[in-house]
Amino acid sequence: MPPAVRRLARGLGMPLGSVIFAFVIGALICAATGANPFAAYAGLLCGGLGIGCTEGENPALQISNTIVFFIPLVTTGVAVALPFRAGLFNIGAEGQLLAGSVACTAIGIKFSGLPAPILLPMVLLGGMAAGALWAGIAGVLKATVGAHEVVTTIMLNYVAQWLVRFLIIGGPLQLAPGTSKSHPIGEGARLATLLPSDNSLIVFGLPASVFRVHTGLLISLAAAAVFAFLLWRTSFGYEIRAVGQSQKAARYAGVSVRRTIIFTMLIAGAFSGLAGAVQIAGVDHNLTDKYFSDTTGFDAIAVALLGLGSAVGIVLAALLFGALHSGGAIMQSDAGISSNLVLVLQALILFSIAANFVGAIRRGLPFGRAPAALPPELPPAAGLMSEAAAPPPESP
Amino acid sequence: MAHKRLRFLGVVAAAMVLTMACGGTSGGGTPTKTYKIGLVTDIGGLNDKSFNHLADVGLEKAKTDFKVQGDVKESKSGDDYIPNLTDFATKKYDLVIGVGFLMQEAMGTVSGQFPDVHFSIIDGAGTDAKGNDLKHANVQSLYFKEQDAGAMVGVIAGWLEKNGKAKKNKHVIGAVGGVSIPPVNHYIAGYKWAAKMEDPSIKVLVGYSNNFTDPAKCAGVAQSQINSGADVLFQVAGGCGLGVLQSAGKAGVYSIGVDADQKDADPSVIASALKKVDVATYTAIQNVVKGQFQGGALTFSIANEGAGYAVDNFDVPAELKAELDKIQSQIKSGALTPPADIPA
Repeated sequence: MPPAVRRLARGLGMPLGSVIFAFVIGALICAATGANPFAAYAGLLCGGLGIGCTEGENPALQISNTIVFFIPLVTTGVAVALPFRAGLFNIGAEGQLLAGSVACTAIGIKFSGLPAPILLPMVLLGGMAAGALWAGIAGVLKATVGAHEVVTTIMLNYVAQWLVRFLIIGGPLQLAPGTSKSHPIGEGARLATLLPSDNSLIVFGLPASVFRVHTGLLISLAAAAVFAFLLWRTSFGYEIRAVGQSQKAARYAGVSVRRTIIFTMLIAGAFSGLAGAVQIAGVDHNLTDKYFSDTTGFDAIAVALLGLGSAVGIVLAALLFGALHSGGAIMQSDAGISSNLVLVLQALILFSIAANFVGAIRRGLPFGRAPAALPPELPPAAGLMSEAAAPPPESP
Repeated sequence: MAHKRLRFLGVVAAAMVLTMACGGTSGGGTPTKTYKIGLVTDIGGLNDKSFNHLADVGLEKAKTDFKVQGDVKESKSGDDYIPNLTDFATKKYDLVIGVGFLMQEAMGTVSGQFPDVHFSIIDGAGTDAKGNDLKHANVQSLYFKEQDAGAMVGVIAGWLEKNGKAKKNKHVIGAVGGVSIPPVNHYIAGYKWAAKMEDPSIKVLVGYSNNFTDPAKCAGVAQSQINSGADVLFQVAGGCGLGVLQSAGKAGVYSIGVDADQKDADPSVIASALKKVDVATYTAIQNVVKGQFQGGALTFSIANEGAGYAVDNFDVPAELKAELDKIQSQIKSGALTPPADIPA
């Protein structure tokens, strides 16, 4: 086997193994509870990818739904993966996403009269700025006083959730007393759907408006590309990776660890904020109570881990999670199996990744060896398992 | 070679199981029509012990009484409403039921895309983004006369005060609402009206927590009412209202639950005002089976057994039972009409 192929196989082995492990255990759970695992997975396959549908599902619609779930997972997945590379664990993608969606909504309502060429960039950039600000708080705290970013980003999630709650229940964005949603954003602030949003136009046997795939798809793919470019083709990306490998070594090489931490978090927050803005501009068009219980930013952690922190990996992992989300409901109505099985599968995938990391570290390192000596081809998240993954920066 | 053949056989077997599994669910080929009913829960899920659970109870009952294939989709997040409703609609289900007002906007969107599919929505309508009813002809709103249920528990509270059977008997009772919106105020209106009818000297304290989820907020309002002498508290605030029931339990006074039977929420719960979502769901399905689906509002009340009360951790004296039966039959016959607005 040529080394490149071997490397690829080794790279794919862990995530693929995790997914297969999850599906096998999921099937056993299915069978143990008296359900038919084949029917369950047939439902998931149909619901997620539109393949092999037997109950009259429209394959194009299923794919469209999967892509709608896929879009924010890619962008937030990138927002989790970038800090991973710098040895930072960004649990706050959800809060940053909410900050972005709030900014997008507020701007989209306030300037609803402006035409799309002006307003659309405004809401998207506004969302990015708000997300960057939200993550930047954690970044600055980490870089200056050493406050652990896991704690601060988790706490900022709560602040964002309660901020949304305040804004649309009794706050300035509330539509009307007794409602829990905002006014809709202006027409100019909305991302176009790929197909015209028209009830009378029939495409694939359905009204075109049921296909909700929007141009945010291109934005999220662009975000993944920017992430890869930033990480591997710029000097800042090199600094991020250097800090992630070893803060001390990075500092000896002349990299400002503090600056790198702050900017990494700012950029990550901008990605998350963009995801929130795109969700408002492309799908919801208003801020609603569903954002209280949104979990995109948390699913993103699993996506980033499963994707091994690489752009292609994140896109594939987001596709899997989007398909699982979209497929769960079809599985429930077709096979009569609770869509909670999807949550079980996601948890099993995560569990298996974590377990494999432990195995990889044990195999790769004799007990007691410093984590900084991790071979570079190991996935960056492996560092999560080590003590020294995210210490506060030492003063120079 | 043998190994390969074995594997091939395995694949064939798996494929056969798969096709059999699929064949089993699709059915068909029967002389009379099987009606396909799709139920979409809100994010509360089937085990919410309230609306979603009751809607499923109604669906299950319809499945035993009619030739009905009932399928359920639990919504995991607000993002799922549109895909879930749309899936049933694309499969040409005979009725798609959405549970709860959280789904109003999604219902408005999807019902507009599928004008030939019938939809029902509990406690709501198909609306646009601003909450205006789009009045699609294929959408049936299942509403409740909450004031009927409120009146029945109001009778209990008023009767206890008048006859000295409450805990403090200062002729003061309370009601804690979530937010001052019509469904909440309907309950309170019936409650206050009936309590005054039973005990003209009664004082009914009405407070709002401005919240439907945080029990601490409702506990605060309940505590101030208890401090003002209230010894029967009616919660009309969903999950927040659990704080009312618990505060009443701690203070040793009575409480009254709402929407579903809340007997198990706290020992202080003596009764619950019921919105019979199961009856509404069953009726909606029955109408479709009989070919009598109609768009617009369908209202459930004591008159059509769609609202009522349950007696919980309490032994009802015979006199009170007689009074309850009397009032219930008078509301049923139309001799008494509980008001929709809170009386002065």
